[in-house]
Amino acid sequence: MTTTKPRLRFSRKLLAIPYALFLLVFVVAPLFIIIYYAFTNGDTGKLSFENFQNFFSGTAGQSFFESSRFKTIVQSFGISIASTLLCLLIAYPVAYIIAHSGLKNQMGLLLLFIVPMWVNFVLRINALKELLSWIGIYNKSDEWNIFNTILGMVYDFLPFMILPIYTTISKIDKSYLEAARDLGAGGVSAFIKVTLPLSKAGIMSGISMVFLPSMTNYVVSNYMTFNHTKIIGAFIDECFRNDHWNLGSVTALLLLTLMFVITWLTGGFNTESDTQSRGTSLW
Amino acid sequence: MEKVKEVPHIIELKDVCKEFDGVSVIENINLYVRKGEFVTFLGPSGCGKTTTLRMIAGFDLPTSGQILLNGKDISDLPPNKRPVNTVFQKYALFPHLNIFENVAFGLKLKRIEKKYVDKKGRERVKYEKLPKAVIDEKVKKALEVVDLAGFEKRSVSTLSGGQQQRIAIARAIVNEPEILLLDEPLGALDLKMRKEMQLELKAMHKRLGITFIYVTHDQEEALTMSDTIVVMADGAIQQIGTPEMIYNEPKNTFVADFIGESNIFSGVMTKDYSVRFCGKSFPCLDTGFEKDEPVDIVVRPEDVKITAPEGGMLKGKVTSVIFKGIHYQILVQCGRYEIEIQSTSTPKVGEQVGLSVAPDGIHVMKKKFRVNKFSGVITKRNTVEFGDGEFDCDVCQLYPGSHLDEEGYLITAKGEKLDLTDVEVNVEVGLHDITMSDNLDDGGAQGHIISLIYKSEYYRYIVRTENEEDYVLACEDLWNENDLVSLIIPKDKIRLTLKNPEENKK
Repeated sequence: MTTTKPRLRFSRKLLAIPYALFLLVFVVAPLFIIIYYAFTNGDTGKLSFENFQNFFSGTAGQSFFESSRFKTIVQSFGISIASTLLCLLIAYPVAYIIAHSGLKNQMGLLLLFIVPMWVNFVLRINALKELLSWIGIYNKSDEWNIFNTILGMVYDFLPFMILPIYTTISKIDKSYLEAARDLGAGGVSAFIKVTLPLSKAGIMSGISMVFLPSMTNYVVSNYMTFNHTKIIGAFIDECFRNDHWNLGSVTALLLLTLMFVITWLTGGFNTESDTQSRGTSLW
Repeated sequence: MEKVKEVPHIIELKDVCKEFDGVSVIENINLYVRKGEFVTFLGPSGCGKTTTLRMIAGFDLPTSGQILLNGKDISDLPPNKRPVNTVFQKYALFPHLNIFENVAFGLKLKRIEKKYVDKKGRERVKYEKLPKAVIDEKVKKALEVVDLAGFEKRSVSTLSGGQQQRIAIARAIVNEPEILLLDEPLGALDLKMRKEMQLELKAMHKRLGITFIYVTHDQEEALTMSDTIVVMADGAIQQIGTPEMIYNEPKNTFVADFIGESNIFSGVMTKDYSVRFCGKSFPCLDTGFEKDEPVDIVVRPEDVKITAPEGGMLKGKVTSVIFKGIHYQILVQCGRYEIEIQSTSTPKVGEQVGLSVAPDGIHVMKKKFRVNKFSGVITKRNTVEFGDGEFDCDVCQLYPGSHLDEEGYLITAKGEKLDLTDVEVNVEVGLHDITMSDNLDDGGAQGHIISLIYKSEYYRYIVRTENEEDYVLACEDLWNENDLVSLIIPKDKIRLTLKNPEENKK
């Protein structure tokens, strides 16, 4: 192309500026605010670790392990683990079947799972709530409440599990499977020895996409249980609402650290050197 | 072929056909491979050689026909049930496993049948895994065979292409397959590495004594390594034979053209031991053809000798001399024919030289004659020029759904306007679509009848034009040899195809 327009000296780096600004204002700054509140005394504003002590100390004569706070943490973990496992159990076969369907329009099939996401999240949760109360299990007992929360989480986060797994499975070179069959593996053992390990990256990013949000997404738990089942997210919300900024910040920071550790343990920070052997993931 | 039937056939393909979505890719292949042989499937890409290999491996099942292994039908067995292992084109080493685990993959899946008597005295069969020590030992040996001992702990991504290739071979041979299938295994290696691996593979074949079936499009590779070469094209076997047979006695022009360099002429067998091409008669060693039967003639470049201008059978002008290392590649223009020569002598470009070919350097092949084929050019009036003449034709057939506008431009189905002047086309005319006429102005080309053969229902004529273009046609009436006739071809019987479809898109 030969145009006579004056060429703008526009380096590609400049394009990063808006993103960097956004990051600074909405991610880095709040993070520092949280850190500030976590490590200062609420009244004096001086540096202290008492917020951590507060978090781990019990209330009203109870020890930490007897407190409702501890119960909330355990409950959050339980709900998250159950939701993630359920998502995985549903998503893996779905992703596998779509990726191996041999259909030209695999994206169309995937859209069936993604399109519900386009409906407003609160609306969807409300609809599910109505459905549950119509069946008669809405806010029936504590056990049903936990079940309903898990149901809500799975309903909400399933696409985030399907997409990365689908991407990794569909990118696995067919010749690996053929090689396995050639070397004497039957269909099942070829799946266990080749497809499954090669889709690990997708499973891992799916897990981090589901596990961490379902620890904090209290909208689901509040709506599904009429505020009866409390998870960590709800606790943080409560703290800030009741002006316990320091305690809220500590909880948020602890959760952040936990997420960091989990991501690190599941290999979420591994980059190029390893991606070849683990397949590529969507996220 | 004249194979002696002493060695048992390890694998046999009987009337094997394969279709993908209704498109036939393999048409009725019959072949056998003897135990311990190094067989190469050779052909251009898309000829069906890889599909044939994949059917032997079990990745693709034949649409019809049988595949026999040691006489037993294995056509429907899945790949894991066949005593055959494959070395894949892109190696397909498992990226999540290290070298040891890759090589041991097949061994770990192996179960040995063990008969024992249980407490109640009944005979039972149980399947046992190979003991770890045995696996270790076998993997070690396999890595030694491919010269990569001590690489067990390395990960796949740290190896070079050549090393990965060797691991892929080790992974296959460690299972002691009856047949080792190799699908263009050296395609991704550089030239020097490839040459080394060729010799190594051949040595490995000798040492292991198992049957190798090798797929390649590289004719030199095939000639270097194989005991038997199967030349394939368009989903069919063209020729089976030893490398020497295939090179020296190609069965048809495709094989001659694909294997090695060759000059291919079309000519006629005037009588036994005499063939006419390039406008001259040459003595040859072939007999048993009909009088004036059209034939294809192959002359290898190394069989053409350069002589003094007056001393040769042909006379021509040197147009190009290229140094190729051990010899020069020389092109000589003799009238309309360009002849390639390999020689250690170096004539100068522009020099007049004579060319001669010894009788044993001329290889005559029966012509598989179905239609007249010419190269032509579309001319301004939407007529086509070929075979020393100009004919009316229907250019719209080049683009489906197109038509001509008033000015003579072609409008395609999509509405694009094309000027077809000077576009090169392939022209095909059937034997029965040409008629002859006494009136020389009737047809598009003129020539003399040089041959007529009575074929019980009709006479087959060959009409040669002034510039030695031959038309073959069938006619029920009797004409005389040497009659000057004009050739009439109806507009709708001239089949045109674009020579360079991509180029003409513009």
